Amino acid sequence: MTAPSHFYTSRHSFQRRTEGTIVWAFRLATYVILLCGVFVIGNICLKGLPTVTGSFRSLKQFPYVTNTFLFEAPESLYIFKHEGVKREMGDTEYRAFREAETARATAEGRPVPEFKAQSYVYAAGGIWPCIVGTVLLVVGAMTIALLLGVASAIFLSEYARDSAFVRFIRLAILNLAGVPSIVFGLFGFAMFVLYFDWNVSLMSGWFTLAFMVLPVVITASEEALKAVPKGFREGSLALGATKWQTIRKNVLPFALPGILTSSILGIARVAGETAPIMFTAAYVVRDKLPWEVAKFGDFFFQGVMALPYHIYVVSSKIPQNAYTQRVQYGTAFVFLGLVALIAGSSILLRNKLRGRYQW
Amino acid sequence: MPPESTTTSAVESAPTSFRIQKERTQFLGLTFDECIQGFFGGNALLAVIILGLITFFLFREGSSFFSQNRDNLSIYRLAGLEYVDLGRQPEKDHAALSRYLADLRLRTYQYYTAQKALPAKEANTLLADFDLYADRFARASAPIRSQLMDWSEIANDIKARHLTNQNLAEKRRQLLAAGKSAEAAAVKILPINFAVEVETITTTLPAYAEASSTFARSLEELIVAPPILPDVDLTVRMARFQALTRDFIASLPATLESMKKWDATVPVPLSQSFTAFIFGRQWLTASFWQDWYGAMPLIAGSMLVSLIALTLAIPLGVGAAIYVNQLASPVEQRLIKPAIEFISAIPSVVLGFFGIAVLGEFLRVASGWSFLSWVTGFPFAERLNALTAGCLLGLIAVPTIFTLAEDAINNVPRAFKEASYALGASRLQTIIRIIVPASLSGIVSAILLGLGRVIGETMVVLLCAGNRIAIPDFTAGLGVVTQPVHTMTGIIAQEMGEVEPGGIHYRALFVVGLLLFFIALLINYFAQKIVRKYKVSIG
Repeated sequence: MTAPSHFYTSRHSFQRRTEGTIVWAFRLATYVILLCGVFVIGNICLKGLPTVTGSFRSLKQFPYVTNTFLFEAPESLYIFKHEGVKREMGDTEYRAFREAETARATAEGRPVPEFKAQSYVYAAGGIWPCIVGTVLLVVGAMTIALLLGVASAIFLSEYARDSAFVRFIRLAILNLAGVPSIVFGLFGFAMFVLYFDWNVSLMSGWFTLAFMVLPVVITASEEALKAVPKGFREGSLALGATKWQTIRKNVLPFALPGILTSSILGIARVAGETAPIMFTAAYVVRDKLPWEVAKFGDFFFQGVMALPYHIYVVSSKIPQNAYTQRVQYGTAFVFLGLVALIAGSSILLRNKLRGRYQW
Repeated sequence: MPPESTTTSAVESAPTSFRIQKERTQFLGLTFDECIQGFFGGNALLAVIILGLITFFLFREGSSFFSQNRDNLSIYRLAGLEYVDLGRQPEKDHAALSRYLADLRLRTYQYYTAQKALPAKEANTLLADFDLYADRFARASAPIRSQLMDWSEIANDIKARHLTNQNLAEKRRQLLAAGKSAEAAAVKILPINFAVEVETITTTLPAYAEASSTFARSLEELIVAPPILPDVDLTVRMARFQALTRDFIASLPATLESMKKWDATVPVPLSQSFTAFIFGRQWLTASFWQDWYGAMPLIAGSMLVSLIALTLAIPLGVGAAIYVNQLASPVEQRLIKPAIEFISAIPSVVLGFFGIAVLGEFLRVASGWSFLSWVTGFPFAERLNALTAGCLLGLIAVPTIFTLAEDAINNVPRAFKEASYALGASRLQTIIRIIVPASLSGIVSAILLGLGRVIGETMVVLLCAGNRIAIPDFTAGLGVVTQPVHTMTGIIAQEMGEVEPGGIHYRALFVVGLLLFFIALLINYFAQKIVRKYKVSIG
């Protein structure tokens, strides 16, 4: 016998089932995305972490410990068999070893040993110059972008009325945000590298990256400025302060934390992009560190190694095998960690700030 | 005392420092505040200026590509390379037919070894006749081939001398510019009379025609008695081969006709240089014969990769947006949104590396699994192809689509939803009939912006798309996704570092960049237009 049915009994079981299935499909879509993200990040972290943790070396003097992967320059890796033992060595170590062995053999009167080594470029040593280069690029580009972007945002949020001119500017900002990064790279190459004759240099890279990230900074800053209550401005103006005084004393100080935190997202973009710096600022390899320059002016006009470009180089220009995996995954891990740190702190700070400034 | 009089007297006797109309510092007739405003306004103009500069510099570097490409095409015609290529077409078609035969041999071999379970040696013995036939077929083109070889040498020589002349002229110009007129006069340029030079090729057309007819005759002889094949399917293929060869033989006189009509003096119009770029099917650089700058393979590659990415990203991104905004619990909402935003922060070069190191290999292995063998194009041998790049680009597009679509859905007023519930609609009905249509403009623009993100993405396609410059073979159906492609962004990134500034190749890359720039602007424009035009009025 069927259960007694009355008005409130749930019916349409078929409909309910379809509804449930579709809801599950939506849920599945969401979790598939998250799973993909977790898988990519997890894979790189799992395989890249051992590179960093396995590179700690003890030192005789002050810091007492160092990390050869993080704090040394990249070298070629040599793999060879010597006296029946298979060895892997970086460039400098290999040369020293070879000389020592040759000297030992001649001293003992044996024939000079032959060294037949297989070599992989960049597969030994570390990524210190790349880290330095990336940090320099990010700091310079963000300084320029913040100076220009915040000024731009102040105009849009404090001075601008809804006019055709302002709408035009907003349209330009929106469009600038959609320009592909490789186009910025081409533009930077044509304007800074060739036309201004700055060559492949920090300056070219800074301006290219700053222009690329400008829309992000402007939008973020404007949002932060708009979040400051109108009463702050009105109170100040009512007391006789000029517009500029109002902005300087009563708007900017309150908007600044918001501007900075939102702009961190811009940092993640600057640090993460490869295409714009490929022809404007990045070198495949450079022996000198950026501060090893003859005179101060040269500092701005030198190319640097950068993490994203290094990843591109080590993943496309050298073969994939057990020997090269160490540096490939290690670089990707360090880079991902750096960007994740920046992006994560931005998201966290933003949430925290939203809670704090409740006017 | 009445208050009015106090006020008046106070104003009259007020010291200068209290006077309202204080004298203000002025620069160029502007007050300090106006200067500040001007400064900020100028900064805001920066976005406009940068857009202008980008357009200007891309045009500046790219615009003379078309005239250079016209020169490139003109010399192709003047030096007779075009003529030789006309004559070479039958050879190419014949080579394609030979490949068809080779494919047929492979199939027959597989038939013998797999279905008849014969050992490899025996299968090869059975195929000896076939091999002999294929060999004779391949060698049939020998007479025209030798003729073509002579021609290409002559044509190449004319072109080489022309290029030398150009270099000498450039040298002379530089010397003159440096004021060394004596040395400039010493630079000897031997002018080339193209018409006379090319005649050494065109006058030997009768010999070519003779060779061509010999070629046709030997093919006809061959086609009459093809080797007998052991299977129905194979016999059908052989019959198809015969039909194709007959068509080919019939097409030979037309080739000769077009060679007779060919005229080196017809100038190449500028429009042809333009169409040769947009619709050109070949991107061939640093070739010893003729360079081609046709963007079609790159555009097709970009489109294919974007299509794959969007096919994956739209259901996932929009689905997730609907789920998070409408169906998820508050805890899920709080966690998932930042997590997906976080995915957008993964740098593209890291994703590209992931594609090379993990995903490409995984997809190749997965395509070999027997339960997936029904998918067209599976299994495939290339580790890096459009599918690998498309999957990763999908992951890049998802956060963009998700964030914007979620925003759009969030903007639908609560009242819509409540009204729908009040009318007795279920949760899903409300979502599908009310929420999604109301936010459709936002969702579509989110998808468009996702597309913009995908088309402009460089590192993933550079690392994972396989970088083979050819139009993907769309006749393969869905299997097209497993072919390696090259893209607009990829070609710029790959070749820009190796070209000489000012050369035609350099300019061609800038034109590709210009194309990319305008595609991005167009996508942006439509995304904004859709949002404005189809916004459901919320009142």
